[in-house]
Amino acid sequence: MLLTIQEPTPAAQAVGIDLGTTHSLVAAVIGGKAAVLAGDHGVLLPSVVSYRPDRVEVGHDARRWQTEDPQNTIVSVKRYLGRALDDLPEEFRLPYRFAKREGMVRFETRAGSISPVEVSAEILKVLKARAAQALGNEPGGAVITVPAYFDDAQRQATKDAARLAGLNLLRLLNEPTAAAIAYGLDRETEGIYAVYDLGGGTFDFSILKLTDGVFEVLATSGDPMLGGDDFDQTVCRFLMAQNGIDSLEPVDYRRLLEATRLAKEQLSLDEQVSVEVELGRGKKLSFVLTRQTFEQLTANLVQRTFVSVRQALSLAGLAVKEIQEVVLVGGATRMPCIRRAVAEFFGKLPLTDLDPDQVVAIGAALQADLLVGNRARGDWLLLDVIPLSLGIETLGGVVEKIIPRNSTLPIARSQEFTTWKTGQTAMSFHVVQGERELARDCRSLARFELRGIPPMAAGVARVQVTFQVDADGLLSVSAREINSGVEASVSVIPSYGLSEEEIAQMLKDAFAHAQQDLEARRLSEQRAEAMRLLEAVEVALAEDRALLDEAQFNVITQALESLRTAMEGRDWQAIRNGIEALNQATVEFAAQRMDQSIRRALAGRTVESIAE
Amino acid sequence: MAVTLTEKAARQVQKHLAARGKGVGIRVAVKPSGCSGLSYALEFVDELGAEDATFESFGVKVVVDPKSLIYLDGTELDFVREGLSEGFKFHNPNVKGQCGCGKSFAV
Amino acid sequence: MVTGERNYFEFFQLPPQFALDLNELDSRYRKIQAWVHPDKAARLSEIEKRLCLQWSTLASEAYRTLKRPLERARYLLKLYGVDPEEKGEVAREFLLEQIEQREAFEQALANRDLKALDRLADRLQAAMDDLVGALAFLLDVDRNYRQAAELVRRLAFLETLWDKGNCARTEWSE
Repeated sequence: MLLTIQEPTPAAQAVGIDLGTTHSLVAAVIGGKAAVLAGDHGVLLPSVVSYRPDRVEVGHDARRWQTEDPQNTIVSVKRYLGRALDDLPEEFRLPYRFAKREGMVRFETRAGSISPVEVSAEILKVLKARAAQALGNEPGGAVITVPAYFDDAQRQATKDAARLAGLNLLRLLNEPTAAAIAYGLDRETEGIYAVYDLGGGTFDFSILKLTDGVFEVLATSGDPMLGGDDFDQTVCRFLMAQNGIDSLEPVDYRRLLEATRLAKEQLSLDEQVSVEVELGRGKKLSFVLTRQTFEQLTANLVQRTFVSVRQALSLAGLAVKEIQEVVLVGGATRMPCIRRAVAEFFGKLPLTDLDPDQVVAIGAALQADLLVGNRARGDWLLLDVIPLSLGIETLGGVVEKIIPRNSTLPIARSQEFTTWKTGQTAMSFHVVQGERELARDCRSLARFELRGIPPMAAGVARVQVTFQVDADGLLSVSAREINSGVEASVSVIPSYGLSEEEIAQMLKDAFAHAQQDLEARRLSEQRAEAMRLLEAVEVALAEDRALLDEAQFNVITQALESLRTAMEGRDWQAIRNGIEALNQATVEFAAQRMDQSIRRALAGRTVESIAE
Repeated sequence: MAVTLTEKAARQVQKHLAARGKGVGIRVAVKPSGCSGLSYALEFVDELGAEDATFESFGVKVVVDPKSLIYLDGTELDFVREGLSEGFKFHNPNVKGQCGCGKSFAV
Repeated sequence: MVTGERNYFEFFQLPPQFALDLNELDSRYRKIQAWVHPDKAARLSEIEKRLCLQWSTLASEAYRTLKRPLERARYLLKLYGVDPEEKGEVAREFLLEQIEQREAFEQALANRDLKALDRLADRLQAAMDDLVGALAFLLDVDRNYRQAAELVRRLAFLETLWDKGNCARTEWSE
């Protein structure tokens, strides 16, 4: 084939977002270097969203309302993602009012009943705008980090938030893995890294092996309900008890909590702090807190983190001394007691040269840059694992494990079922996540209903159900009757997530006052998708035209032309149909290309070696 | 070694650059594209990267990034007419096997 | 296509034998993942993304199966048309030895005797290493698949015990 000269491809810009419990950040690779992007008040955006009578405020602006108007001001929303009211310890229910409902909690605010997904989307929108300003363009895609220990419902909720915020989510990335990428690329040393990540609301611990451009997660563990906030809560309860206070108004509690948080931060530098808190109705609370008292109060929280650490070591089959480097991530690891405990446990000083608040966003930006095809920092491969086992509920509420925790992603497992009634055309499964033996002790993820099984005599139908977990750690289920080859349709009823209809409704609500906006957005989304597809197919044709016979080639070029024509119009439905048609037309071609490339991968040089 | 143009190729590049109205030269690269294969790419150059290597052929600047250079060193670019189509053709001494279409290769 | 049954050894272009060069397996697995991992497909079409997901899943599954001796032996036996679980007979003396080991193990657990548990773990490891050595001979040289199947069942026993020990150790440390 002969080549022509192309216009230079502008470097695609993608961002990395650390959607944190207390702070959120956005970073991007600019000129080959990853940097955290700053807003008006610095790089950290407080993860606070306040529903004002006339608008929504996010970040520093919202923060001032958290004591004045706590019920309409949501802080630490990450704790509520994919969570039901029953999952929440008492201290995280205050000061909010929750809607009475099953499934994921909803905050009752003056703006109505709001899902944590919508609150998170508000934070993401601000970060997206910040990135657009810094880059001079809307970011083409985003990698968003989640705690490694997030279950499927929490991951799905994060993904939904990205969609609501209008971000093109390239991938969900585990926070410790992101940190390992940042450190690994920075230090260029191979070996076994441990990442100790204590954030505002979650604790994550991962062990990774870095070799030859591969980041392989060996084990991950954590505590989704343990973070820096818990240190504040503990001290708060101590102060209340010491001053003979049984309960506080929501406003006062927030004030005390805020004062405690500041005291905690100060204690990382000083041996003691004195604090005075103005409470409502002229009350005042003053106290002196020493580092020693603080550390005594919170010692068991620190110890709790090492339960997860030992668990991960055992899962990876490693001894403490085999860990070459320990990386600290998360603002809470600034506490001297944590650093000391980590150093003692591992017998070596932890690495802290990258800012523990920023390292996750930096790693996410590097991964985002790689995903959109820039290789300024070389090429690498990320092999992550599923943090919790997936299983289905069987007779008597016992869980049958389908995918064991710590399996490398992506992974799929199939299971065969049969019908128990003659002519039965439907069946359903309850999928749970966790390590316990009884379904009620695990997290309920969803119920999957299969329909369209061909009617047969009882016990004759062989329904093969495939559970696929993708690289983001998200589950999808498909089913097929083996004798007839008929695909069963699968509908998902998420236990804590949002249904497809709910999301559609939220998207609609967001544009409720401007139907045109919604249409315009759909049009631009479909056009962007069509552009991506056209480009991908054109590249494929240029490279592997030889794999197609004349008839196949014509089918593809026709679909290609139809889509081009549709793109000139303003009918997003027509574009979507065109995309679907072109996708269908290229199924076989894509499969052939893939087969060929696997053979090449083993025969010739690989992307890895090109990167060197 | 270097990456070079034949005189015919250089004249074509100059013609294209003039028609385009801007650009300092031509970039020759090897691009891995996802699950597919390795392929050559030809682009106009508006700005030089810090690590780029540059070569001159008949007054035309040829720009190659260091990673591509490993695969392209010694390559000569020609401009040819084959049947009805015309375009640039790579003569790469590093190539052992080449697929039918000539755009993908194994080094 | 991806979905059909594929011979995992052919998939990695490795000889179908029990004595496998694990470093080579590692490197081939990574080479394939470097091409087909979904992260490499972010800019490709939906179809190609789905194919990458399927290929990557297959690569992981094949790697997982060939990497561990027990799974590799089971897989080889299946290729040879022997179901290692069928007629699950195990030599009497091995079973008796097993019962003894299990009792010693239960006792160590009951007494929370970490040292005794460590000693048992060392013995288990040695026994498993012996079995793996014997399997290599039976499968690759002697081609005595019936006897290999019996050793596979033994190995499965030992691995279960080994896993139990590990779980207990983790629980203690908690």
